[in-house]
Amino acid sequence: MVSIARKNLFHDKVRFAVALAGISFAVVLITVQIGVYLAFRSNVSVLIDHTEADIWVTAHGLENFDFGRPFSEKKLYEVRSVPGVAWAEKYLLAFGYWKTPSGSQETVQMVGFDPDTMVGAPWNIVAGNPQDVKYFNSVFYDEAETNRLGNIPIGGETEINSRRVRVAGMVRGARSFIQSPYIFTSFNNALNLSFVNKGNTVYVLVKVAPGYTSQDVKQRIRETVKDVEVFTSSEFSKKTQDYWMINTGTGVALLAVALMGLVIGTVIVANTIYTSTAEHIKEFGTLKAIGASNWDLYRIIIEQAVINSVIGFAVGMAMSYLVVQGFKRGHLQILLPTPVLTGIFILTVLMCLWSSVLSIFKVTRIDPALVFKS
Amino acid sequence: MPIATQTVLRLDHVSKIYGEGESAVEAVHDVSLDLEAGRFIFLMGPSGSGKTTLLMLMGCLLRPTSGTVHIFDEEVSSLAEARLPRVRRERVGFIFQGFNLFPALTALENVEATLNLKGYRGEAARVEAGNLLARVGLEKRVDHLPEDLSGGEKQRVAVARALAGNPPIILADEPTGMLDSKTGRLISEILRDLAHREGRLVFMVSHDFRITSFADEILRIEDGCLKEGDRD
Repeated sequence: MVSIARKNLFHDKVRFAVALAGISFAVVLITVQIGVYLAFRSNVSVLIDHTEADIWVTAHGLENFDFGRPFSEKKLYEVRSVPGVAWAEKYLLAFGYWKTPSGSQETVQMVGFDPDTMVGAPWNIVAGNPQDVKYFNSVFYDEAETNRLGNIPIGGETEINSRRVRVAGMVRGARSFIQSPYIFTSFNNALNLSFVNKGNTVYVLVKVAPGYTSQDVKQRIRETVKDVEVFTSSEFSKKTQDYWMINTGTGVALLAVALMGLVIGTVIVANTIYTSTAEHIKEFGTLKAIGASNWDLYRIIIEQAVINSVIGFAVGMAMSYLVVQGFKRGHLQILLPTPVLTGIFILTVLMCLWSSVLSIFKVTRIDPALVFKS
Repeated sequence: MPIATQTVLRLDHVSKIYGEGESAVEAVHDVSLDLEAGRFIFLMGPSGSGKTTLLMLMGCLLRPTSGTVHIFDEEVSSLAEARLPRVRRERVGFIFQGFNLFPALTALENVEATLNLKGYRGEAARVEAGNLLARVGLEKRVDHLPEDLSGGEKQRVAVARALAGNPPIILADEPTGMLDSKTGRLISEILRDLAHREGRLVFMVSHDFRITSFADEILRIEDGCLKEGDRD
């Protein structure tokens, strides 16, 4: 069958290029913004999501992971006494000031874990032995923060909160969302380096014993241990994500830009398809005269929209790939799982179909006398 | 093939009024016609006399304000809008003054697309399109776009397209209006042969006095009213 839609589209190359540019732009904007949003959302809870813990015990009234407050480590022992707790470990998160070789100071977040159990330890060591954090004030940092922290190599020394520290290794994939780099060390080192008083912890991480559910053990801990908050890992992860994405407006801002891309893309494509329809209106009238039904005309317009969307999506994805590679070189994450890409494709098709609505109205009301005007 | 001398198109007291009230315009007034297969009929008249309106009424592109239009025994003037495309697909072929070819399609594809509309598919459509173009002498120009064809060639493609699906009625709106006299006569010969040799009704609106000799009958219309003309 002759595809009038395809022939018309490719015959007018300039108009086709304009439509493609509009769709590709929209696809890039939507893809990158959603990818950044998903990466940010995943990043804010990266430490929560990479521990083995099933339950997190925190100070009362905590809003999110990054604002942890200390509480008595006696709570640890109370937690350990709750039936269904396989193990419980202290975990510390505290702010500090890292001194760079130039003398400036960078705010950092110290993460203190137990090197004997390795609960809460960084999960992707790229250099060094994580057991080295047992040594006095030995620390690890994420390789993506190397420039920021002053390019101090492994074995090099600096200060945190005016106390000497030695870089023992590097990790990957543990970049902080709030832009204060994570510094990994032992719990005791972190306590020494921070302003948290001895005898305190900031979190207690809990593993649920076989035969028990997280919700069940969570409830038991709540009933047993006073003046703390208790969350499952997924609840705490979501709470932290929601805080940064919704309460601060960061997520809304990212998604708003994505929505803007969608609107701009729709407007450009609608304008292009409509002007194309207007220019070809006599052809549509002729088709009607020779026996095409309205649905035959709609099919042509819809086919044009689908072709536009498929090719525009492909071009947009190719451009998005380049953008993603650029982001990665800048150590910025973009997350684009396959279901999301599929969703963006469907959105692109819907955008182009929606853009065709005006054209469909136009061909429905063609004046038959039009075909008799030379 | 339609049988010669059979009435294929009948208009009974057909009128068409555009607009309402004081701004109403009666483009066609009380026209009655019995048109037979195998005839080549001209309709002539000044600009604004109702020629195009009458053509659209005959081709089911317009619904009459009063009166009836029959194609064979089917009253088409009262059919629902959604059923009229079928009538046009099966019964009527149109030829336009401005050719109205699809510029992005080759000559072959222009005819093939029309055949697709009429139910032909794949290779069958392509072969039939080639045959139709060969009938009008364009077998060597099938792969050319309209922009590469002369006026006469474009109109011959339009004729081939109008024949797609073998309609018994051909309605032509000034098909020689944009052609030189020689090419105009060529087109007129083709249309006359469609009527006389293939038994179709060919109804042509024309201003062109150079080709009136081809007609079996000339009808004249003025101010929407039909007047008797010359007969064969």
